[in-house]
Amino acid sequence: MAGLGAILGALWRAQRRDQKSFESIASNNFFIITAFFLRQAGTFIYLILGLVVLFPLSTDPLRKIPRSRLALWPLEDGQRRLLRLLSPWVNPVTWLIAGLAIWMARGAVSAGLWAVIAGVIAVGFVVSEIPAPAHGMLRRVPHFPGMLNHLIRKNLREMLATLDFYCALLLSGAALLFRLFGRSLPAEAVAPLTILVVLALSSFAQCLFGLDGDGGLGRYLLLPLSGWQILAAKDAAFLLVAVPLTLPLAPLSGLSASLVALALGHGPSVTEYRAQTRWRFSSGASVIYGFAQAALMAMAAINDQRVALPLALVVCAASLFYYGRRFAEG
Amino acid sequence: MISCRKLTRRFGDVTAVNGLSFEVAEGAICAFLGPNGAGKSTTVKMLTGLLAPTSGEVEVCGLNASANRLELKRRIGVLPEDLGLFDDLTVEEHLLLTGAVYEISKSATQARAKQLLHALSLEHGRHTFAASCSHGMRKKTSFAMALLPNPRVLFLDEPFEAIDPVTSKIMRDLLITCSQRGITVFLTSHILSVVEHIATQIVMIRKGSIVWDSPAGELPQSLEQHYFDLVEAPAVEELEWLGSARS
Repeated sequence: MAGLGAILGALWRAQRRDQKSFESIASNNFFIITAFFLRQAGTFIYLILGLVVLFPLSTDPLRKIPRSRLALWPLEDGQRRLLRLLSPWVNPVTWLIAGLAIWMARGAVSAGLWAVIAGVIAVGFVVSEIPAPAHGMLRRVPHFPGMLNHLIRKNLREMLATLDFYCALLLSGAALLFRLFGRSLPAEAVAPLTILVVLALSSFAQCLFGLDGDGGLGRYLLLPLSGWQILAAKDAAFLLVAVPLTLPLAPLSGLSASLVALALGHGPSVTEYRAQTRWRFSSGASVIYGFAQAALMAMAAINDQRVALPLALVVCAASLFYYGRRFAEG
Repeated sequence: MISCRKLTRRFGDVTAVNGLSFEVAEGAICAFLGPNGAGKSTTVKMLTGLLAPTSGEVEVCGLNASANRLELKRRIGVLPEDLGLFDDLTVEEHLLLTGAVYEISKSATQARAKQLLHALSLEHGRHTFAASCSHGMRKKTSFAMALLPNPRVLFLDEPFEAIDPVTSKIMRDLLITCSQRGITVFLTSHILSVVEHIATQIVMIRKGSIVWDSPAGELPQSLEQHYFDLVEAPAVEELEWLGSARS
């Protein structure tokens, strides 16, 4: 039992030193903005379906211990199960969510529903135990002309290995199905839905180098390429994902919003390296930055595209060259 | 081919590299030796233009390393300590990427990549993603990336560490071939037995300063003994509790 206590103690220290797990929820644009708009309606349900389901996928503290190391430690099966049960509680976010849920439920939730919620959380943690898919599933990305071909392909694979993409895909797919089954979307819903799709991807624009790792960042500096070329390969991959996802909605608005997301994302991407984890949600620079990025994206998407699109293009190009130079300077 | 004059790099109050001056001739294999934290990697970063010196000058291939960084990158090949690989590219894609960004024609890139994959026994793993490769495969991939653009100078940061004997032999032989063809090799290593076989010049540093610089043939004793005498002697500690009854 002393061994188990030592492991939990180490997890607590690791959790205290590394707040990335908290950031992956607290600074993901999609969570922030949807939480903000949904606070009026069905907060409790949102909390359960959104944060609680996604929380284990993003923040499991036990993942801080390498699997190989955990397997080597002389723990009995019962101790391992106990560790699985107790480890989430070294993360302050667990207490925060549990407290929020109890406060909002305040007698309105039956024992049965609480059991369902407990089950959902348990499933979340079990799912988080499943190893991330191998790289092989993303092998077949298309080729592109020019010297940046393999960089763009690599960047595409990185984007497709984040949960942000699948969140955006879900929204886009839902809109497509809605249209395919003969119903017309209300005109006033098209632009907000487009913004929501790009919003789901926009935190990734703030950490474009987050999945390259130390090795990848070192390699960029060795390649005889200008900084803007390296950033352009990142932007190309982002647009190749974002724009097709907005095709069932308003693609021009989606392009404008994506360009704005990138223009504002270059800065934090280049000036502060934020390592990301595959098959998790991206964490952006900060809540305030996320709000600013979302507000400007919305402005670009809802305004007349004859003006908004060229303006977004110019701003994005200026940001590309400025931060490209900053990147090359190291 | 490589020339340093009073090269110094400070990080705040810490002087990582202190007034290094040395020359490496064309076609030489220079082994740059020293303990961990002696300033080897910082020096390599300054030689490759990745880090600006606080003072002093570096010239590689006739270019000032700080002022001509992009041009310098086109003329050198580097095997960095962290290998510099992208998890989301396969072994072969790393080589094709290198050819493309060094503006080598597609056919020449493919031909060179094929030869390098064969020479380094990487053919069977060519479609493996770097993230799934063994350390040896990753090191060979990074080595192949350094060779593919046919550089004039090769910088290798700890090339022989954590690889199997066959890979080590293949890399040693390739480096000797490079040297014979006029390519200058500058390497850091802790594996003195390997270095002793291939190096033509030995430079040793301790706490950021050079303590030895000579042709390999002019060492007064074995490389290992000379290293222990000049750089760092091994610590001796009796762990008397090892092997006794467990408490």
